[in-house]
Amino acid sequence: MAPHSPGTDQIDTLLWIGFFAAAILIVVVNVALLAIVRKHRGERGAEPRQVSSGRGLQFRVGGGLVLFAAVLLVVGVIFTDKAREAPANGPQGLESKTAAPLTIEATGQQWLWRYDYPNGAFSYYKVVVPVDTAVELELHSTDVIHTWNVPSLFGKRDAVPGKTNRVVFRADEEGVYEGNAATLSGQAYASMRTAVEVVSPEAYEAFVKQQKGEIEEAQNRVVELIENGETP
Amino acid sequence: MSSQRPELVIDGFPKQRPGWAKLATSADHKDIGRILITSSLGFLFIALVELLLMRLQLAIPENTFLSPVTFSRMLSSYGATAVFLTAIPLALGFFYYVAPLQIGARGTALPRHGQIGLGLYVAGATVLYATFLFTPSEGGVNPLAPLSELAFLANNGIDAWATATGLATLGFVLIAIDLLTTLRKTRAPGMAWRRLPVFAWAATVSSWLMLFIGPVLLAALTMLLIDRNYDGIFFADGGGAPLLWQHLSWIFFSGSYMLILIFAFGAIAEIFSAFSGKPLFNRGAVMGSLVAIAVLGTLAWMQNMLTAPIGVGWMYFAMTMSLALLVPFGLVLFNLIATLSGGVLRMRAPLLFAVGAVSFVSIGLASELMHSLVGAAWELKNTTDATAATHFALVGGAVFGGFAALHYWFPKMTGRTMGESLARISFWTMVAGILLAFVPLFLAGSEQGQVIDAYKFFGSSGVDAYNLIASIGTLVLAAGIVMTIVNAIASRENGPEAGHDPWGGDSLEWFTLSPPEPHNFDVLPDVRSDRPMRDIRAAIAHRTSRDEQPDREQQPVA
Repeated sequence: MAPHSPGTDQIDTLLWIGFFAAAILIVVVNVALLAIVRKHRGERGAEPRQVSSGRGLQFRVGGGLVLFAAVLLVVGVIFTDKAREAPANGPQGLESKTAAPLTIEATGQQWLWRYDYPNGAFSYYKVVVPVDTAVELELHSTDVIHTWNVPSLFGKRDAVPGKTNRVVFRADEEGVYEGNAATLSGQAYASMRTAVEVVSPEAYEAFVKQQKGEIEEAQNRVVELIENGETP
Repeated sequence: MSSQRPELVIDGFPKQRPGWAKLATSADHKDIGRILITSSLGFLFIALVELLLMRLQLAIPENTFLSPVTFSRMLSSYGATAVFLTAIPLALGFFYYVAPLQIGARGTALPRHGQIGLGLYVAGATVLYATFLFTPSEGGVNPLAPLSELAFLANNGIDAWATATGLATLGFVLIAIDLLTTLRKTRAPGMAWRRLPVFAWAATVSSWLMLFIGPVLLAALTMLLIDRNYDGIFFADGGGAPLLWQHLSWIFFSGSYMLILIFAFGAIAEIFSAFSGKPLFNRGAVMGSLVAIAVLGTLAWMQNMLTAPIGVGWMYFAMTMSLALLVPFGLVLFNLIATLSGGVLRMRAPLLFAVGAVSFVSIGLASELMHSLVGAAWELKNTTDATAATHFALVGGAVFGGFAALHYWFPKMTGRTMGESLARISFWTMVAGILLAFVPLFLAGSEQGQVIDAYKFFGSSGVDAYNLIASIGTLVLAAGIVMTIVNAIASRENGPEAGHDPWGGDSLEWFTLSPPEPHNFDVLPDVRSDRPMRDIRAAIAHRTSRDEQPDREQQPVA
């Protein structure tokens, strides 16, 4: 789950902060518990001390916990806000006339992802995106809830029928990043995977152009067959 | 003089009904509580079998032991069994048995509610397991709309699931109503709210909680059944709102998560106090914290929807609520552990299980903390890391905590203690089991992002070893749990005699016989503190020592 986008860099840091916070709590509680159980076990005939605590101690402990939770809340909001903002294009990225990220529609259906590119081309299972370029995926679903999930680039987002959800990332390195769908969506859910192939901007332009050309060619061939009275 | 004396004519005694018939038709809270506890333990065993079948399928990558459909049926049945037939009825069963005794009540206020509640629970369980004759649900632990709609799961598994969970939930609501009325109206003289034993307070808080969350789920289930059977569009796309189901169902599931933890904390508080011979470190803080857990934990329901298309403000709201939970959870754990300090700990089975419960619940809750940070949840949600966190908290709470309660109150219910050596073996097996079963899932989920609910995983994803160890660990955990169930069955008739007050607890259930008579108490003491049984023991000791004064007793009467 190595991070490969500015957003996942932030999330990675947040995960480590959360991990250490949890680890501190686990260690403190369990060490105290086991030490006290060890120290006080079974002295026969001894009389237990009938002590209980006043309010002051409770307020101090409670106040400490409030502080701990408040720090985590602030940290959580800061890193989450950074992770969800759309990054700007990098120097090697796609040259764009507008500041808006490259928007690709991702549609979940049982049990495959379809990606629609701005020029009208589309692809199934795998989405090709240019490196160092801000990409926004608009998630839709045609049937049940599917969770788009590529841990290295963003993490998870649900595609809910009738709603639009959003994923933003900027891949920093060329390569293929994979992930499983993450919400039970029926029988073939376990095999519902997707991949993001990150390529150079030139290769991306070439891919969408070729993809569009091939799709148009195939469609024209079908139209031709129908016009000639043949069943395709 | 022939006197006309009144004559008593008896045509023999009324015929005794067989024991099972008496038990099944009883409206006594002790009988109903025992049936709830016993059947929860039975369903715990069935849930384990289902869990083991799934773990067997996930022992090696791309296994073909279970088909995808069978796997999702096991998953759905496991979820419904663990939540609706095991954890909640176990908690309510103990509340229903013990709380009226603790407050010095001669029975519950609305016994028919309890009786009908038990009947509805049994009906729900019957419906759920009758589906194995045709088609169990394939919708998962919480069947999310629109997958649960007729268009996507056309067989009647979801209908049966909704009926079963609905019947059981209605039963829980009725039991909660009875408990609340009992706790409000039938407390012994002097038993003010502030003197209520913590476990009875936990029963109060849990019953209020069930009264809020139960009807929410019932409404959602009704809408789902209308959608499926009468062309409704509550949750279906095209007019309905799929996310509405998530809001309503997660309110219930988050609330019942809290209910189970509140039960566990209540039982642990009694046990820590009894076995250390000390009062709770601070009763007020624990009682207030239990209320805060119920409120904040339920308000954090959107914690389960952090990847859904909801506004980021709502995500931060959920994060605030779940981080705020840190305070009451922390205070409860602090006070529980501080209660042990300075005590004289008798390391018997109830205390052993209670210490285990505190330890594993703390691990589970601290891990849930990571999931409440919104950005982190985008990575961790629906990974096995979430499975592990939830199972640490709930196996810690419901099973370790439930077994602590079982060992603690078993002598009250049967007059016998559970075998101590088997209890110890069972405990250490379970400790090894829970660590082996769920620590690898933490790693598989957080390192490799292995997703949940999938019937297979791929060998290339680097989680083979984790899953194999987790499967072995689940087997060990199950073996440990079965030992305690066997121990309970065997000790019912053959355990060592316990007497009426085996542990020296401070609350009134130890004042009566073991097992108690149907009317619970012959005489009721005046409650003068939050430790009535300690006062009674002191009074008896005082009287005995006075009576044994030789110079007063043995002086010849002049």
